[in-house]
Amino acid sequence: MTARPEPEVATLPPVDDRERPRIASSTITTVIIFVLTAALIVGSRAISPAFGSWSQLETILYLSTFLVIVSFGQGLVILVRGLDLSIASVITLGGVLTTGWLNGSNEYAWALLPAVLLICAFVGALSGVGVTFLKIPPFIMTLATGIIVYSLSLGFTAGTPRGYAPPVLVDFMHARWLGVPAPILFLLVFVVAAVLVQSWSVLGRRLYAVGNNPAAAYVAGLRTRGLTISAYAVSAACAGLTGMMLAGYSDGATLRMGDDYLLPSVAAVVIGGSSILGGHGSFIGTVGGAILLTTLGTILAALGIEEGWKTIIEGGVILTALILLREQFYEALRVQFGKGRTE
Amino acid sequence: MTPIRSLFSSGAVLIAIVYLVLFAIYAIAQPSALSAFSIQALLNNSLPLMLAAAGQTFVVLQGGFDLSVAGVISLANVVVAVYPMEGPGGALVNLLMVCAIGLAVGATNGLLVAYLRIQSIAATLGTMIVCQGIALLILKAPGGHVADWMSYELTDSLFRVFPVTALIAIVVCLLWLVFRRMNVGIALYAVGRDETSAALSGIDVRRVRFTGFCIAGVLYGAAAYMLAAQTATGNPTAGEPFLLLTFAAVALGGTSFSGGSGGVIGSVIGAATLMLMQKVLFSTGISSFYTGVFQGIVMVLAVLFAAAVLHLSQRGRASA
Repeated sequence: MTARPEPEVATLPPVDDRERPRIASSTITTVIIFVLTAALIVGSRAISPAFGSWSQLETILYLSTFLVIVSFGQGLVILVRGLDLSIASVITLGGVLTTGWLNGSNEYAWALLPAVLLICAFVGALSGVGVTFLKIPPFIMTLATGIIVYSLSLGFTAGTPRGYAPPVLVDFMHARWLGVPAPILFLLVFVVAAVLVQSWSVLGRRLYAVGNNPAAAYVAGLRTRGLTISAYAVSAACAGLTGMMLAGYSDGATLRMGDDYLLPSVAAVVIGGSSILGGHGSFIGTVGGAILLTTLGTILAALGIEEGWKTIIEGGVILTALILLREQFYEALRVQFGKGRTE
Repeated sequence: MTPIRSLFSSGAVLIAIVYLVLFAIYAIAQPSALSAFSIQALLNNSLPLMLAAAGQTFVVLQGGFDLSVAGVISLANVVVAVYPMEGPGGALVNLLMVCAIGLAVGATNGLLVAYLRIQSIAATLGTMIVCQGIALLILKAPGGHVADWMSYELTDSLFRVFPVTALIAIVVCLLWLVFRRMNVGIALYAVGRDETSAALSGIDVRRVRFTGFCIAGVLYGAAAYMLAAQTATGNPTAGEPFLLLTFAAVALGGTSFSGGSGGVIGSVIGAATLMLMQKVLFSTGISSFYTGVFQGIVMVLAVLFAAAVLHLSQRGRASA
């Protein structure tokens, strides 16, 4: 260990960057992501004329619906300085319960579908309670709830999920309204509502406050624990909804149906410019991240690239996004080449 | 604090007691558990997780999370199975290969986390996915063949008495005891406790973090090596179960997730406890569907347990 002659302390005067630069940088991030996505779609025309068409765009938006919904919940949990690793299992739970309870009939769908969402939300609330009251790291808590829920789904289905989604759900997932697939319209409504909730509602602003500084939020009179728990509950409900929609989409459930959404949901939030440390980021950025990832996945799948390469590119995109889109990167550059200050 | 008291507030001793109790239950339920063969099988099963958990400890101690453990184990496992080399010399070359892979990934993580200041969960998530991709490129589906020398000798006993795997676990623990008395070892604890204070005391925080990730990577490589020796085959998704289990083992071993307290020996015994628990659950005849429920609950209880131990030991220190 080399002793440093000068201790590293902040020597620069504190700059008040609470307002302007943060909004500016997140807006820039969001714009970059959407431009990148558009460029990817248009550019893919060079590979094959089937790409870049309206119908391909429709497919991408349709497929991104699932990831966008999951990522909204993940984003809220990350906003309050957490991480939800139970998402994959809760998606499975949502799908398995939907097909297991309704089994291809519409009977009681009006009651059972909300009940499925409530159960999922309850699972999320349990994670939230563990994180807030028992002070278990979110990472461990949600990993634990995830494995418990998965194991229960395994037991519930005795290893092989049977049954079909209710026709009402299957019809919805395959309907076209106003010439557009119904799920895409649903996606639009969902995004608008989610933006309103996250950025404009009292609840949303409070979640930002908790994420920015839990101690300050508590002193300011916010019920930080309740707010944190609600973020986990919403996240699980979103995952449950995704599981339900996936069950309607493929008219059945599998035990591994959620696996493809866990890591991409974290990636979408991070690529979308939210800080994994919590406290800031916008849902529109996350939507961009989710659509970008889906576009990438669709194009890679169409190219017939090996599974290994697809995975490598996915990881590479996440790492590149982390390095390029983070304020810490500029901070690090400053540390490396500047006056050597750490914080 | 008196030595005895400090002994009992250490997570390693507490988890060792838990292990012995659990083993007694297992031995009563299944008397054949005490046979030399059975004990060796248990140790052989446990060693890969022990090594991986030991590696994870180096990152958790600095207050981070290393998800790349799953990627490194998958990748190194596949490499050993696709490029098997016969004889003791070949085994050594294989070992150097997996350690190099672990070191490379660990150094990448260290670079991203310590120097580029990216949150460890996010950075190691990226490296984990890339490693899994490379593993899939090398071997698409489970298969391959591990060198005979490795799969026979490394799972055998020295002079028919002492399991090789136990020897490796003991060596790792001894190396840890040396490491934690070195400057870098003490610095690792200091960084985990309070990064700013550590920096102000003249510790090169970035280099300490970087070193921690590198050591972790090498140990994951070693874990993959022992896993390959045990299963005698390669699997591009071999590392996935380790993601959950290493964290559970570290938590059980009494290492705090906020960093700065705990140690490798606790994690190693924690890992052994988890593997023993699976055996006990299996022997009690609980439907295998529901073992996950127990694993999850034990994990949560382990974290609470570790927090309580930490709380008690700090209170003891305050009153002393």
